[in-house]
Amino acid sequence: MNKLYIFLKYFFIVVWTVFVVAPFLWALTTSFKDFQSVNGGVTYIPWVDFEPNLEGWKVLVKSPAKGGVDIIEPYFNSMFVTCTASLISIILGTLSAYALSRYTFKAGFVKNNDITFFFISQRIMPPIVLSIPFFLFLSSINLLDSLTGLIVVYIVLLMPIAVWIMVDFFNKVPREIDETALIDGCNPYQAFLKVVLPNSIPGLIVAGMFCIIFGWIDFFFAFILTFTEVQLLPVKIVALNSSVTPWWSLSASALVSVAPLIIVAFIVERYLSKGNLSGAIK
Amino acid sequence: MAKIDLSNISHSYNPNDPNPVFALNPFSMTWENGNRYAILGPSGCGKTTMLNIVSGLVRPSAGRILFDNKDVTDLKTEDRNIAQVFQFPVIYNTMTVYENLAFPLKCRDFSKSKTDERVNSVAETLNLKSFLNSPARKLTADQKQLISLGRGLVREDVAAVLMDEPLTVIDPDLKFRLRRNLKEINEQYKTTLVYVTHDQNEAMTFADNIIVMSEGEVVQAGSPKELFERPNTTFVGYFIGSPAMNLFESEASSNDSVKINNTLIKTNTNLSNLKNKNIKLGIRSEFIKIAQNQNENLVEVNVEKVEDLGNYKLITAKMGNFIIKSKVTRETEIPTQNIKLHIPAEKCCVYEDNKLI
Repeated sequence: MNKLYIFLKYFFIVVWTVFVVAPFLWALTTSFKDFQSVNGGVTYIPWVDFEPNLEGWKVLVKSPAKGGVDIIEPYFNSMFVTCTASLISIILGTLSAYALSRYTFKAGFVKNNDITFFFISQRIMPPIVLSIPFFLFLSSINLLDSLTGLIVVYIVLLMPIAVWIMVDFFNKVPREIDETALIDGCNPYQAFLKVVLPNSIPGLIVAGMFCIIFGWIDFFFAFILTFTEVQLLPVKIVALNSSVTPWWSLSASALVSVAPLIIVAFIVERYLSKGNLSGAIK
Repeated sequence: MAKIDLSNISHSYNPNDPNPVFALNPFSMTWENGNRYAILGPSGCGKTTMLNIVSGLVRPSAGRILFDNKDVTDLKTEDRNIAQVFQFPVIYNTMTVYENLAFPLKCRDFSKSKTDERVNSVAETLNLKSFLNSPARKLTADQKQLISLGRGLVREDVAAVLMDEPLTVIDPDLKFRLRRNLKEINEQYKTTLVYVTHDQNEAMTFADNIIVMSEGEVVQAGSPKELFERPNTTFVGYFIGSPAMNLFESEASSNDSVKINNTLIKTNTNLSNLKNKNIKLGIRSEFIKIAQNQNENLVEVNVEKVEDLGNYKLITAKMGNFIIKSKVTRETEIPTQNIKLHIPAEKCCVYEDNKLI
């Protein structure tokens, strides 16, 4: 029984690991292949099954004039938009969440929980519903095809995540902490900044992580709201596709695009292993 | 440090309702500077509301609060210079012990040297000196509670330190030590301490004044001795003391005696102005002894059980349909059959409508 349990446990771990890691390995090897090694039958091991070359990678940094695709600019655009929108969302989201957690609001039948739900409901809607309003809105203020416009839209998309996570987190920070800070002589703003906020860093990290992930992977709105002036990474990667699919450079760009998230995951994982975040995620 | 006056304070959580429910019925009270007060009562009786009104976390629906004759009712918590310790230790997790203790001074712009001096002195009193530089979250629950307390004591001029069941999370033996600590602190710093608890032992051993509350009402305020010997209401008699006060439904039979099961008990209370004849006689089990050679106020009882509780014996006996409890010394020989108990007249309390006459 016990042995069977151990066997099953490791069996599933192995299956799951293969499931997660295999696509990465496959993309990694593919990125070093050329036309022949991709289309001429299945090849697995570099230097044995095929001769690796850097063509797929070089294309990514070469300018379009020399036949490349140059993902460097979209890469930094994506980073800029994601980080700025996440930062603003976290700041606004944290402030709203604190208010929603600590003060009682009432407008007719609308109460705190309804307001919180309103924020979350923005993410329940299929994004396509929002595409036309966003398009018209951005075009009316002349922000179509611009980084600023994208940041505005991403704040709308990311702030509900920040509010949702932070309301939950602040609800778990005992009210007595605020009260103690008031008793110790802080005004409500100092109490929030000096006492509550430092205690909420784990929550901020989780919220930040989710904002960055959802901002970084968004293709849909970047695709609809930008044309030629500005391009974000997911759109650029899709644009790589042509009549002959360049699997090697697609694989290379896919790896490059997940790299920042892997780094974020490692940073957050360090907090996780310290046990600092356990309360924040539960 | 201040004298605190609560004048006609009342509080309701739905004051605009046509029939407001009062969490705290109107009362007035003065807390003298440097004394130790305990607010005692069962859960949900309004103790915490009272404390929060004093600290300013709750604004009373009516009445004024005065610190040293200065009206602070409309003052915000942070401007009242009050300290409050909650049931569970509230510490600033991200700071060291030193930073925790220094926080109230930092908020009030004290100089670095003054802060140093105060923090070190308080840390000394609370035995926290060796932890000053450790992160506060690494400490044990009782040490954390000491930090909460220390934040209250670090300000010399604090009006009062309010404690809301501060020792709930702490081991019994440590509780005893901390309570003694608190007394010493009170004597050393002459800080007014207000201590909320539902544990009568805690209240009796800690405070020199106890305020007993029940259902939003201040039922009695007085020294432990007063509360013990002359409870104002049957509730106080029942709530304070272990075992609770013996209470017997009885009937007035003359100007100073009552009848329980046809036994006449003389009291020192004047019963000539009674409105109804059905009254209650209350007597502490501590004052009931086995009759030696007295010839009045004797009741005949059947001993049901005798418990040896270490420093005393507790006799539980039946007198008609009443249960009577008596505390006697361990050395007392207790006959197993019928015995006579003596109820001293001067210790009898007579209650009409559950209120002391």
